Amino acid sequence: MRYRRKRSRTSSTLGFSATPLIDLIFTLSIFYMLISRFSTDEQTPMDLPRPHQSQAVVPKMPDRAVINCRPVDGGDLAGHGVVYSVGPNRPEPLAVISDRLAAWKRETPELKVVIRADRRIPYARVRAVMRMLAENAVPVLNVAALVGEGE
Amino acid sequence: MAASASETVCAASSAPEGSALPPRPRRRRQRPEPQSIGLTLAPMIDMSFTFLIFFVVTTRFMLPEGVLTSMMPRQGSAAAAVALPFSPIVVRIGQTGPGDEDYTIRVDRFANAPARFADLPEFLRGIQSEPGFDKDTPVVIVADDDVRWDHVVSCWNAALLAGCKNIAFAAP
Repeated sequence: MRYRRKRSRTSSTLGFSATPLIDLIFTLSIFYMLISRFSTDEQTPMDLPRPHQSQAVVPKMPDRAVINCRPVDGGDLAGHGVVYSVGPNRPEPLAVISDRLAAWKRETPELKVVIRADRRIPYARVRAVMRMLAENAVPVLNVAALVGEGE
Repeated sequence: MAASASETVCAASSAPEGSALPPRPRRRRQRPEPQSIGLTLAPMIDMSFTFLIFFVVTTRFMLPEGVLTSMMPRQGSAAAAVALPFSPIVVRIGQTGPGDEDYTIRVDRFANAPARFADLPEFLRGIQSEPGFDKDTPVVIVADDDVRWDHVVSCWNAALLAGCKNIAFAAP
């Protein structure tokens, strides 16, 4: 009879590898960030005014309405080449926006309104919006401009 | 020589006397192999690239957007009916061409108005230092219909830079 010693097998280690999990989480978060549209939706891409030593401040306005004034693609700026829209909505006549604003004001009296106007459009077009705000008893005028050093 | 050496080893083993089993050879004690300590680069590179993509996607290279704030006139009191306390500083802006620099600045009752909005705050501060004027003196911005919105905002910003507290807009 021979003495035999059992050869011990090397036990395979069972562990939790977190790296692929984190990898996947980050990849998914990037994916959702790319396809999601947050509140920046109301910020229609446009060429905003860039004043020298801008005094514009980044506001905290939870209840706000943004009125965009931008030129029509390829339109004549001096003529009727300016369209108005509320946030990401389709362009509408100013009278329609005025009615909508009046309804919002009834629901939210503290509603803030921000005018985002392209820097190239004539002042008369923006003044029409300012007049509309005054008619709707909007107490504060907020005009969007770029923050930081301009020109 | 080799045979005598093995015999010596067998004699030293603890085999019971009269047993049929051959004596077990003495085992040498084996030292544990040193574990190799290494840095696994693959997950680190993986994560680095993931972070890189994350920051590239989330970084905005454009200037942030803010607002300039002003009070609107109350409804029912027309602009013409607002009683201005004393002679305001009236800044008039005109458009001379389609370009960025094609504009004129005039300040009523004050000659040598600056040609550029960058110099307007200093000019307004100079007016405020004169007798009868201060930071509470209203500044009225009068812009022609065809003036670019950019110039109106620049004028407004210049008045804010000069410390003007009352800024108003008026029709030309």
